[in-house]
Amino acid sequence: MAWEYSEKTRQLFMDAVHGKPGTHMGEIEDPDGFGEHGSIVCGDALRFSFRVKRHPADPTQDVITEARYLTFGCTSAIAASEALCAIIEAGGFTPLQALKVTNQEIVKYLDGLPNQKVHCSVMGAEALEAAVFNWAQKRGVDLAKHGVTLGGEKDNDGRIVCTCFSLSEPYIKAKIRELNLHSIPEITNAIKAGGACMSCHHAPGGLQDLLDDAWGPRPTSLKASPTAPASPEPVAPTSVPAPLSAWQLGKKVEKAVDDYIRPILKKDGGDIEIVDIKDALIYCRLKGACAGCAGAATTLKLMVERTLKEQVDERIRVIAV
Amino acid sequence: MPPLIYADNNATTPVAPEVRAAMAPFFDDQYFNPSSMYDAARAVRQAIEAARHQVATLLGGITPEQILFTSCATESNNAALFGAVRANPGRRHIITTAVEHPAVLEVCKELARNGLDVTFLPVDRRGQLDLAEFIRALRPDTLLVSVMHANNETGVIFPVAELARIAKETNPGILFHTDATQTVGKLPIDLSTEYAQVDLLSFSGHKLHAPKGVGALFIKRGTPLRPYLIGGHQENSRRGGTENVPYIVGLATACRLAGEHLAEEHKVGTLRDELEERILANVSFVEVNGHGAPRLPNTLNLAVHAIEGESILFELDAAGICASSGSACTSGSLEPSHVLRAMQVPFTAMHGSVRFSLSRYTTAAETAVIATVFPEVVARLRRVSPYWDHARNRLAADIPNPAAGTPHR
Repeated sequence: MAWEYSEKTRQLFMDAVHGKPGTHMGEIEDPDGFGEHGSIVCGDALRFSFRVKRHPADPTQDVITEARYLTFGCTSAIAASEALCAIIEAGGFTPLQALKVTNQEIVKYLDGLPNQKVHCSVMGAEALEAAVFNWAQKRGVDLAKHGVTLGGEKDNDGRIVCTCFSLSEPYIKAKIRELNLHSIPEITNAIKAGGACMSCHHAPGGLQDLLDDAWGPRPTSLKASPTAPASPEPVAPTSVPAPLSAWQLGKKVEKAVDDYIRPILKKDGGDIEIVDIKDALIYCRLKGACAGCAGAATTLKLMVERTLKEQVDERIRVIAV
Repeated sequence: MPPLIYADNNATTPVAPEVRAAMAPFFDDQYFNPSSMYDAARAVRQAIEAARHQVATLLGGITPEQILFTSCATESNNAALFGAVRANPGRRHIITTAVEHPAVLEVCKELARNGLDVTFLPVDRRGQLDLAEFIRALRPDTLLVSVMHANNETGVIFPVAELARIAKETNPGILFHTDATQTVGKLPIDLSTEYAQVDLLSFSGHKLHAPKGVGALFIKRGTPLRPYLIGGHQENSRRGGTENVPYIVGLATACRLAGEHLAEEHKVGTLRDELEERILANVSFVEVNGHGAPRLPNTLNLAVHAIEGESILFELDAAGICASSGSACTSGSLEPSHVLRAMQVPFTAMHGSVRFSLSRYTTAAETAVIATVFPEVVARLRRVSPYWDHARNRLAADIPNPAAGTPHR
């Protein structure tokens, strides 16, 4: 699909990638706060770090002076990272104040994001949260005392609902409330859950159930209606019900090949490989010197087939592969 | 803005000026319904039959009645698969591959939901099929084998003629379909000799310099097939609907041009090979998807480690270069391409794929620009990437690979 990015998003991306002065791409050595969100497997990831001007007496009065990021991801992921750092630096925030920066503010800074890219801004907010948590540990600040609960960190445990992006029930539940998500597409756009195989959408305990838990069941919920079993993954080929003689036929073919056919071919520096046998069809290929020989097909058909018909079973047919 | 360099010909192609010119009269005074009785309409009817003849000529000079005109390759594929299933109720098994275009893959999944048994053949790291696996999949109740001629993303070519022969020798009742959308006009296809065992072959016009909105389906004489679009007696009662005359004429003209240029396709291959060499020489941690397998001469699909494909495309676009990617961010889903996943591309490059696809209109000057710009784009984006080791200028070591089901937050 074509890009529907705002001019601001495009410009931030270009400035960042082309290293325009004043942009925030990079890493801070020995940062005061460091946080990551996402993974290379999921398609986007953000590494966020900041430095503070330390308050001599009260760590909660530390002020963020510098913010940097490294981002793996699409245009909007990189632009959102740039926006996050710009907002944080311009605000002159303490880390606790910075926590109040939401993904909506990032979206606003970017002059909007396409719906399916909203998760890029959420990723920024999540990485920021992780970095503040890291700062609090380093500076001995008890976040709980300041009324801060960091959903993401506490919900490490819990049942995985979206296996594609490894998202747990507590995490999704928290985000449904926090980001005010009312439908499965909204969940997918914001935190990517349910965006790949989609099997968690209407499964028991899946996204629709979590939405119903949060906001009450909706009359339009698909939950009750039976859904056809999806089979998106390649299915292993089912094997043919084998007639009883298959094993014996195979053994006999092998013996006939060893005793009569292979010695003849070997004389010319060739060989034969049986690729498969089904019923009386023998799939085989000539190897060695015979492989490139113009008479190979004729050899197979005449010599191999005749020999096997005589030695094993009149029904045998040879197919060259 | 820099001049546009179009390197996305596997998505669609520019309409050839000759095609446009050939279509024009059928928008003007040759507007008659080809089914009408008066003399003026007869010329239009004849234009369609001449077009059928031209298409048949490109495909090995086969009898023209075996060509059915459709609206696109997706329709051709739907018509072939649903038509074959409806005409052969006694057989319930279909074999296809995991890397088909959605126009086949999703139809097969739909057929599976309707109770048919579908085997999706896997591919290896090079994107190739295992012949032994194919043979093992053949069953007494196999109805249809549908294997694409060349993959649209990687350009990897499947040995369709050989697969068709093996299927037919195993059981002449098995129908063989191939989606040849990426190969008609690029590779010689002779349905009277080498590909004589193929029963059904789909392709579309807009991949070979005809406009969008027209396609064709080859149906070998005697192939049991129910019509897909039911209606009037057009196309020998195989497809209802008034014929799209200007587009059919456009498709035929494009086929004639493709036939005339077929001998020059190796020039496109040379350009591609040079581009590939230059990129591999100037970019580290990049792989050619489908390397080592037979590939279309026009296609170059790269897996770039540590950066994401959509941002690569954006940067290329800013330089005027049109390409595409199998990255999640460029698809409707959040998953990377099913083709690259089936090929088990390494996870550090799965989201970093870029496809350049050239055409006979691509010039050496254009590929030279791509070869210069692409390494710069990769270097810039790697500077921003957390997975690039900036000190050693290489892919970072120890990138976690969270397995599905393991919470990472």
